[in-house]
Amino acid sequence: MALLEVSGLTAGYGIVQVLFGLEFTVDAGEAVVILGANGAGKTTTLRAVSGMISGGGAVSFDCKQVQGSRPEQLLRAGIAHVPQGRGTITDLTVDENLRVGAYSRSGSDVEADIERWYDVFPRLGERKTQHAGSMSGGEQQMLAIARAFMSRPRLVLLDEPSLGLAPLVTREVFDRVAELVRETGTAVLLVEQNANLALAFASRAYVLEAGRIVNAGTSQELRGDESIRKAYLGS
Amino acid sequence: MERFLNFLFIGLGNGAIYAMLGLGLVVIYRSTGLLNFAQGEMAMFTTFIVWSLSDAGLPLWLALIGGMAAGFVIGAVVHQVIVRPVGDPHQKPLAVVIVTIGMFLGFNALAKLIWGNEQQSLGNLFGRGEIDILGTAVAWQKLGALLILAIEAIIFWVIFQRTKIGLAMRSVASNPESSALCGVPVTRILMIGWGLAAALGAVGGTFTAPTSAVDANLMQLPLIFAFAAITLGGFDSFVGAVVGGLLIGILTDVVPRYVDIFEKMPLAPAFLLILVVLLVRPEGIFGQKKVTRV
Amino acid sequence: MSTASEPIAGTSAPLAPQPPVAKAGRNWLSIGTFGVFAIILIVLPQVLNAFWTGRVTGWIPIAIAALGLNLLTGYNGQISVGHGALYGLGAYATALVINEWAWSFPLAIVFSAIVCFGAGVLIGLPALRIKGLYLALVTLAVATLFPQVLEQFSDTTGGSTGLGVTSPELYRGRIRDRSIKFEAPEWTGLASDQWRYYFFLVVAAICFLLVRNIVNSRAGRSIIAIRDNETAAEVSGVNVARAKVFTFGLSSALAGVGGSLLALYLARVSSGSFTLTTSLYFLVAVVIGGAQSIAGPAIGAVFIGVFNDVITPDLPEAWKPASPLILGALLIILMLVAPGGVAGLIRQFTGRMRTRKLVNSAINNPSSGGTT
Repeated sequence: MALLEVSGLTAGYGIVQVLFGLEFTVDAGEAVVILGANGAGKTTTLRAVSGMISGGGAVSFDCKQVQGSRPEQLLRAGIAHVPQGRGTITDLTVDENLRVGAYSRSGSDVEADIERWYDVFPRLGERKTQHAGSMSGGEQQMLAIARAFMSRPRLVLLDEPSLGLAPLVTREVFDRVAELVRETGTAVLLVEQNANLALAFASRAYVLEAGRIVNAGTSQELRGDESIRKAYLGS
Repeated sequence: MERFLNFLFIGLGNGAIYAMLGLGLVVIYRSTGLLNFAQGEMAMFTTFIVWSLSDAGLPLWLALIGGMAAGFVIGAVVHQVIVRPVGDPHQKPLAVVIVTIGMFLGFNALAKLIWGNEQQSLGNLFGRGEIDILGTAVAWQKLGALLILAIEAIIFWVIFQRTKIGLAMRSVASNPESSALCGVPVTRILMIGWGLAAALGAVGGTFTAPTSAVDANLMQLPLIFAFAAITLGGFDSFVGAVVGGLLIGILTDVVPRYVDIFEKMPLAPAFLLILVVLLVRPEGIFGQKKVTRV
Repeated sequence: MSTASEPIAGTSAPLAPQPPVAKAGRNWLSIGTFGVFAIILIVLPQVLNAFWTGRVTGWIPIAIAALGLNLLTGYNGQISVGHGALYGLGAYATALVINEWAWSFPLAIVFSAIVCFGAGVLIGLPALRIKGLYLALVTLAVATLFPQVLEQFSDTTGGSTGLGVTSPELYRGRIRDRSIKFEAPEWTGLASDQWRYYFFLVVAAICFLLVRNIVNSRAGRSIIAIRDNETAAEVSGVNVARAKVFTFGLSSALAGVGGSLLALYLARVSSGSFTLTTSLYFLVAVVIGGAQSIAGPAIGAVFIGVFNDVITPDLPEAWKPASPLILGALLIILMLVAPGGVAGLIRQFTGRMRTRKLVNSAINNPSSGGTT
């Protein structure tokens, strides 16, 4: 059984329905991307999976049904969500942000983990006691990712890391996350508009359009696909 | 000189009470981001509970602890049932203000309904003795208030800055959504914050009561002074609440006796001070400027 | 910008932006309702006895003050918990000019309006830098300070005993100060309480029309824009400072008019009428009636009036102190269930009816409009 199995996922806001029955899976240690343009429902998808909004359908994680759970419960089960726009806790320092990320853990290895993240992201280490809200977008993105990993999750939901970041910074973020995935064996479910970077990063991909999955396959297959090329890769 | 010192200590004693109320306001502001206009009435209500327990025969210290426990429960329930369903104070400030005003009216009337309109008296926690300081007689009660205030402030500072739950409270105050995503039990944290603030109210009220007699209007003016205190000190600062409270206490008790025009307007010097502070340094003396990137 | 992650706009929180409503003029339901209300208002004194006409007359100053508060807090987003102080300022100003210089009632009302406009501007200027909850606090302090100021200067203000509003009269050969009265002119054939009622009603009508015209004008849109997003308004060319200060001034002037009418109504001003509770009750009226409508404050004032004059006296004695509890509980429930107040509920209801009509006509005329 896959680590994350989602079927028939529906969700919306008030009377507006945004997702119309999605089906996708993520295996342990895998990096999967859901591609989609603005308004397709990418963020809504992650929010429905992590429990931030309520939705219909079946979500199973680690072979247990988890639909309807709250974010705190899913975090303890092993799903960490890096929300759209980073979601840094702006009034806390970098160090404190990481500590909050480890809230569900206890024990002395939290300290060791924090040090490790300062090694992985030296810029964070330099700004340990700085207020998170005063950092640049790229730095906040790295903080948000490190914070998510602090809970030692099995699956990380990553929402549009490229949003609002300069191309060079975005590339750097993607490179780092790819490294992390390789080292820790954490699965990642990414949603992105930037198909080039995303397909280079992930091994499998789904395409989301207007709340429905219209295409799926390995990154290689999709890169070769004409319609995808035209719509998302600009060639 | 002697009279001045006398007034000074009275002011400090009262200021300690405003600071205690202010600490509760800061706790709520730091954890939920809203100003609880009903803080005073909730404090009055729990003080009545303390009185009831004391009247039933419990020694005053025990009655206070009982009142604090009851206050904690009331605060937690109020948050859960009334405050939380209203929504995010950052998005709907007026709705939250209205709800706390509703609670203001409600707790006041409820107290009148349960305990009637008569004034009750409550003893001094520290007895009636006095001590000679620098030539003036200072009541132990006033010194006791200052001592308890210091203890409260230290306890809260430690909790918020050095404990995991304090970190959780600050995190929730800043970004409840992200906190939930990190596994922080947001609702439980908020309930605890409100419970703590209400428990603090019981302490403040118990110190006010001996001089003022316990009735439904016990906390109305002290609450305004407490707001003045945290405005001066910074909404999000415990140190600010303490310093602000003591300053406001001194101002309101000393200035009107020396400056005739303020004789019947004890609130005026405090009011002028907070106006100046808000214009010059809106985040208060010890507050932190909110960082926002547009 | 991805829109899927934003909640639906037009939620009925008191300060949330409202969905655009069709202009009232074109809506038959709206005109009809307004017409019915106007008729009720005009006929009221003929139907009620003198006591109740008097009572209802006493609700009108509250309505005008609530109208002013609504303009400031509902439309412009500046929270004020201190309008009771401006209400009191207007009342004392009127008492002063009538007692000292025997001004006529209309002149006294205008005087109060001007004085309070000035006071509002004075408060509005520092309020530019003090926003949101801080402003609520400062106005709360003002409301608490006001009775203390009255006490301090009790030589002029009469403190808690207050001042009678009097005019000199020839009585048994001597000039005496007697409480002012409303005398209906002969040709109207009205009793004095009815005349007073219509006088107040006219003043109120002028105020409500004035506010309605402002709200629907370009200035009004600027005011509302500032509430929704001050920065955006600024960069769109709105002179935010001028608009905010002006709104404060106008809102205070309206409260002053209300206070002036109160002084005329009670023929006495004293500190007990202008406490913190007064300010709170204005806010309650605005919220219950509906914070972003013209009729809202009137509905809210009626509610407060009925609550104080009709319901409370009828409660069993033991329950009397609990009456603010009912008000408080109501406020809370309202915020949870219908934050837009009564007016908001009406708007939702009429909106739904209008949608149903649209849907029905679309069903019955499948060829007209619709999307594929």
